[in-house]
Amino acid sequence: MSGLEVVGPLDPNFGWADGALLTGRECGLSAALFHELRGAFACVHGENGKTVLIRDPLGINKLFWAVGEGGSVLVAARPYHLVRAGCAFEDVSAVPAGTAIEIDWEPGGGPVGAVHSAGWPDSAGMRGDSVEAIAARIGSTLDRYCAALAQVHSEARVFVCLSGGLDSSGVAVLARTHFRRVTAVSFDLERRGGPPSADRSAAARLARDLGLSFLPVTVTEDQLLEGLDTALADGIDWRDFNVHAALVNVALARGIADACAAGGSGRTAIVLTGDLANEFLVDYHPEQYRGRTYYPLPRLSPAALQRVLVRGLETSHREVGPFQAWGLPVLQVYAPAVDYYLQLPEPFLADAQRKERLSRLMFGDEIPDYVYTRPKTRAQVGDVETGRGVLAACIDRGLDEAWLRHRFAELHGVNDAAALQRFLRAGRYRSSVPGAPLP
Amino acid sequence: MIHADIAERIERFIRTQFRVAASDTRFSRSQPLFELGYVDSVGVVELLAFVTKEFGVEVPDEMLMSEEFSTIDGIAAIVCRLSQRPEESALANS
Repeated sequence: MSGLEVVGPLDPNFGWADGALLTGRECGLSAALFHELRGAFACVHGENGKTVLIRDPLGINKLFWAVGEGGSVLVAARPYHLVRAGCAFEDVSAVPAGTAIEIDWEPGGGPVGAVHSAGWPDSAGMRGDSVEAIAARIGSTLDRYCAALAQVHSEARVFVCLSGGLDSSGVAVLARTHFRRVTAVSFDLERRGGPPSADRSAAARLARDLGLSFLPVTVTEDQLLEGLDTALADGIDWRDFNVHAALVNVALARGIADACAAGGSGRTAIVLTGDLANEFLVDYHPEQYRGRTYYPLPRLSPAALQRVLVRGLETSHREVGPFQAWGLPVLQVYAPAVDYYLQLPEPFLADAQRKERLSRLMFGDEIPDYVYTRPKTRAQVGDVETGRGVLAACIDRGLDEAWLRHRFAELHGVNDAAALQRFLRAGRYRSSVPGAPLP
Repeated sequence: MIHADIAERIERFIRTQFRVAASDTRFSRSQPLFELGYVDSVGVVELLAFVTKEFGVEVPDEMLMSEEFSTIDGIAAIVCRLSQRPEESALANS
């Protein structure tokens, strides 16, 4: 190997360490700061024959690598960037999450250097505090994080993906507190003259109550599915739940990009989402459609499932990837508070009202009561009344997980489906350090 | 821990957890579990959790992605190695 080259744009950084925001692409982190690093952060920096690569402990930002022609190491935020640069998908590996790698490129020899592992945020042994105390720490962290972001991006046009659920409502409250130009964005599928979905109605009402501008993004099923290749390649995933979520985000990204272009202000746009809270609070369940079960979950205790879901954030890019494909940086607001979420007591994680309880502690009556009490709907599943969501739109067209896997393989030049199994398994990517042998 | 004992415990878990029929003559410790559909993408998470809880080892990513981690015998061999060399376990490195 003879040096390193970055292919394509890297994901924007919204790191958080020691109460400070890390947004630069320079990898100038001290060892102490590296071990504190949270939020989305991945960087590559080369100087004087040395290269530093850093990836945040949750792996929110992605870094992949492969050896290119001529022996140089190619690094990219998407596997398909490496495939287009001539690398075989089977040779692509992720830079491990939570690592800082220093490489010296020795002339005529292989790379040598150091690998520092931050370990994975795992406070499972510290589940002793009260939910009230933990909620206060989460709230304080998110307030400081958003305040720091607002200072750096004071002139940005901020878009909040507002589903009408508690997580995104909390983000909307934080955005209203800290940013000046906030627009709530709501996704819905066109309902052929029928009423909007319950989620759309709730989002519109909440935006009005919070005094936010409102941007409805309504697409037909055909328009939604036009985003499939982007959802697969930029979402770096073929698993149905993640692809369905990515399809919603592709539609939102397109809507936001169109609104920015039409507005012509030239201001930077940032998208805020409440993603991650579902993993942190184990707020997923299987869904039924036409007699089949979709989105099954591993049969584990709540704490074990939380750990699996949080660790699985390392794979899939269903939030960041689709927005980034439209040049929109996306910020997952709950990210820096992961350690506190992992301290929540196991009985709390088993409480069916946990999300409402925690949100009330964090946001109180800043979130109107109708948001706390309304039933949750996922855009993937759709409205109870109309029964149509992204899941139905895909399944009714034969676009099941086997089809999605096949299309992902096609997009990445993979002929052998087993190669995908060796790339992503149990929520983890195949990962290794540049210079180390592939598994 | 010896390999045969580990393999037997893994096999018992898989047969019970994923309801492998007693009459299934194709199922064996050398068959590829994922390729033949005995364990799906959700099931492999349950299998990993079982391995950690039952044997006190956590499988590092490079072993999880290996060909070896596709059969009961292969998984048992990995567990054997990790038990004998705890420094290789992901638990030791976390």
